[in-house]
Amino acid sequence: MKLSAVQADAIQELGNIGAAHAATTLSQMLSSTVSMSVPAIKTIDLSELGNHLGEESAAMVVFELQGEIQHGGYIIFYITKESAIRLTNTMLGMTDMDRDFTEMDQSALLEVGNIMVSAFLDATAELLGFIMLPSPPALSIDMAHAAMESLIAQLGEEVDEVLLFSTELICEEHKIDSDIIMLPEISTLKRITELLEEMMKST
Amino acid sequence: MADQPSQTPQTAMIGIGEYRVGSFPMMTIGLGSCIGLTLYDPQRKTGAMVHIMLPESGGRTDRPGKYADTAIPLLLKELDAIGCNRRALIAKIAGGACMFEYFGTNLNIGERNTEKVRSVLKELGIKVSAENVGGKVGRSVTFFPANGGKVSIRRADGVTSEL
Repeated sequence: MKLSAVQADAIQELGNIGAAHAATTLSQMLSSTVSMSVPAIKTIDLSELGNHLGEESAAMVVFELQGEIQHGGYIIFYITKESAIRLTNTMLGMTDMDRDFTEMDQSALLEVGNIMVSAFLDATAELLGFIMLPSPPALSIDMAHAAMESLIAQLGEEVDEVLLFSTELICEEHKIDSDIIMLPEISTLKRITELLEEMMKST
Repeated sequence: MADQPSQTPQTAMIGIGEYRVGSFPMMTIGLGSCIGLTLYDPQRKTGAMVHIMLPESGGRTDRPGKYADTAIPLLLKELDAIGCNRRALIAKIAGGACMFEYFGTNLNIGERNTEKVRSVLKELGIKVSAENVGGKVGRSVTFFPANGGKVSIRRADGVTSEL
């Protein structure tokens, strides 16, 4: 699906609102300032996914989009392993950076991911009047490309390109760098753009 | 000179649904549920690699490398065309992991991919000499046709192995 410039702007604004709410919750959890990038929208041909995500090891907390649409795609809290350890340390008041990634980090990530993604989807639901709910989370701590291609494979046979929109959330004080990435299924994307276009007409 | 492989031949990166045929090194990075399949002709020291994403094409023809049922016949055709002997080909399979334990429908794609690749190869009379499949682990795979068809696998934790 090709997005028009207007549609892309609208989705960017939606991502902006969702990510701002997610950033607020992260900021509260860390008791520190969190800044966010302008949401980036990328249409990526499958064969070129490797140019965007590589072999780097990352933690991805993944939620399927459910609610008014079943199997609506995915929303992902993406964070490097180092940042994930700093995240847990900051939340639990620990300082040891030279430790391995443990079960404690896993639980913290699932919890933080859950809170942030819920905030993101609450905000978009309020704006759109269209409810997307997160599934229970699944976690992968491995090559980013391997995790993402596995999610895309589940979107179906006919998918040759995907639309990713991602917003970077950064806490400079604690050097925590993360992303919220949305990978909508095509029918979800259509529904969202329709709703956004209706909203723009009515204002 | 033309027949001599250069000292440091360029490694071809093979994205999802892509394939290459030749004697240069080929690589797929970050395989999750996808399959990196290599076919090697030991006499000609050449081969092919494909990055398969799904088991069945369902009649789609635009990206044959993406599906196991269309990718394998295509590689055989390409290898036939350069004079490889099908009987001599050696197949190696890597990938087919399950990166996320549970997600509602459509599971387990990694396993279904692996099984489909095995069954298509068997139907077409191609021997599988080695596999590194399954589990919950990402793999980057490099294939060296000029170097005995060696396949080297690297995981995110840095552990490497050879097929």
